[in-house]
Amino acid sequence: MTAKNHLGGLKFKAQFDLWGNSLPRSELDWVVKLRHESMAKFLQFGLPGPKVEAWKYTNLGQLNSGNYELITSADNVVNEMGLLENLKGSKVIFTDGFYNKASSTIESQNGVKLLSLNDYLKDFPEAAQKILNKNDDDSSLQSLNTALMTGGYVLFVDKNTTLTAPIQILHNTTTSSENKSIATKCFIDVQENSFAQIVEIFIGADEQNYWRHHVTEAIVSENAVLEIYQIQEEGKKAIHTADTHVDVGQRANFKHYSLNLGGKISRTEIKPTLKGLQANVDLRGAFLGRNGNAHDVFTHMKHLCPEGTSDQIYRGVLDKGGKSSFQGKVYVAKDAQLTNADQSNKNLILDRNAEANSKPELLIYADDVKCSHGATVGELDADALYYLKSRGLDQNAATALLVEAFVSEVYEEIKLEPLRSKYLELALNWLSKEHKK
Amino acid sequence: MLEIKNLHVEVGGQKILKGLNLNINDGEVHAIMGPNGAGKSTLSYAICGKPGYEITEGSVTFKGKNFLELEASERAGEGVFLGFQYPVEIPGVSNINFLRAAINSVRKYRNEGELAAGDFLKLIRSKAAELEMDPEMLKRAVNVGFSGGEKKRNEMVQMSMLDPIFAVLDETDSGLDIDALRIVADGINRMRCPEKSILVITHYQRLLDYVVPDFVHVLANGKIVKSGDKSLAIRLEKEGYAGLGIEENVA
Repeated sequence: MTAKNHLGGLKFKAQFDLWGNSLPRSELDWVVKLRHESMAKFLQFGLPGPKVEAWKYTNLGQLNSGNYELITSADNVVNEMGLLENLKGSKVIFTDGFYNKASSTIESQNGVKLLSLNDYLKDFPEAAQKILNKNDDDSSLQSLNTALMTGGYVLFVDKNTTLTAPIQILHNTTTSSENKSIATKCFIDVQENSFAQIVEIFIGADEQNYWRHHVTEAIVSENAVLEIYQIQEEGKKAIHTADTHVDVGQRANFKHYSLNLGGKISRTEIKPTLKGLQANVDLRGAFLGRNGNAHDVFTHMKHLCPEGTSDQIYRGVLDKGGKSSFQGKVYVAKDAQLTNADQSNKNLILDRNAEANSKPELLIYADDVKCSHGATVGELDADALYYLKSRGLDQNAATALLVEAFVSEVYEEIKLEPLRSKYLELALNWLSKEHKK
Repeated sequence: MLEIKNLHVEVGGQKILKGLNLNINDGEVHAIMGPNGAGKSTLSYAICGKPGYEITEGSVTFKGKNFLELEASERAGEGVFLGFQYPVEIPGVSNINFLRAAINSVRKYRNEGELAAGDFLKLIRSKAAELEMDPEMLKRAVNVGFSGGEKKRNEMVQMSMLDPIFAVLDETDSGLDIDALRIVADGINRMRCPEKSILVITHYQRLLDYVVPDFVHVLANGKIVKSGDKSLAIRLEKEGYAGLGIEENVA
């Protein structure tokens, strides 16, 4: 990674100089210091440019040329746009990147601590410094996120605790998000033998131009389970980048589901590190793009310990004017013997004017492992299409049924029923929108 | 019901059907036999509108309508069913969802409302039972992992659900053991009535022991070269195509 391959980012520095002291918790010296240090770290490289291999398919030029301003406060008015009504459990809402207390409901449970990041910084400064000052950012964007963070949440689940219901995290916007960069950050720590499910929804209006940058740092300890379900329905003009870093311990389980539908540019990065014996990671996702959507999924699976298993299934559907890339990097360290790592990315092209890129990258240093990868880009199966039509389904209905089947494979194992049907419903709506155009 | 006049069909630039004539009236069962490569499957696809089957000359009229102007799905809506020689596997689409979509598409074409979920389930359960299909198979993906016989039985369940007025059955009997053959034949016979017609395309006389045709035609080199009653099929079985002076695999 060299600086010359990066785009500047000085405009963010200028914004930070102007408004940095108005960002939340600027009354806490250590927070201010952390923001400044993080900004300096970001500036060493700036925004990643298209010459950086990992960013080959994602062009952040617009962030560099545009004038994205910082957002330093938000009205605490009720905004539940995008909330999933039929999910029980705590609901934590961020509007324009700020914790929206008026709309949120946090249900208390023994052994579970769920609170807004800004409250955490104030009320638990020592612990907060510990997790924020880790100094292990692996990208300049992560550093920028720390410098500019406006809000977020922390979740601690004590050992031997099972969350009674999934936690719903909703990120929505108002007209105030116009031309703003919105940085949110969250920490999740699931201790030994515990179980947590997070449903995270990103939604915005088509009219507003904004950059939402969200970073999740998670720890899943021995025998614990963490499942994250993301739905990305940002507005048409939005840039969306979401990074998830997770350490997975011995016999621990991490699952990440995603569906990318919105945004002009979306980038989902998932970087699990399998740090304990027999750790297991499953990544599942679909991205559906048309009319200027560019979706990019970047995964980096790091197997550091023996007998770990990881499985990735990603499906892309690209219609006219849609673009996507899947980059799946798998690293197996020398000591990570008996690792089993699978990866599959299939893409369906519905129109000649659509693009799908797929790039597996396997770096294997252990000699007794099973690793597989498969990538395809193709059109709908003509024989299947004709078979359905011969039974009376017209072109649109036949296409919809086949695409639904293609996408539903990703979500079929989800046991959280309202969510599984939500994923399928969103995919079907996307398809029917296509037919209306 | 179906009138085919001077039909010429090309596939990938190759002339397959070269002036085929066929008339099928209400209530009739016709069988078409013929050597490999004669154009039997091409005829069924041409009737049912498969893309890539180019009609260069002639006409296909169904119930007085110019059939060649209609999409494959519209032909199904008009009441035509094609039983496939090789039913297609569709991973991820359950049999039951597929059938519901098919039934409701056809009803929509006919300006009928959707079938209520309860009525649909009742109907499909009774049809599956009639054709001795394990109800568990309705939940499975269309034809995925089905044996040859199960696939053909599934075709019969679909036919019985869609209740066509005209069925083209393209070698529905191939690859079946005797029990499966009996079930398929039973499915076809159930459809027989004065208002409905059937075109059976087959390689073997065997099926015609169970489904007795009103007419038998021999298709060779892109044309119907001989027509007769069921005795023609029996003669073919005994004497072979050569016995009737027909060369096999005429290019």
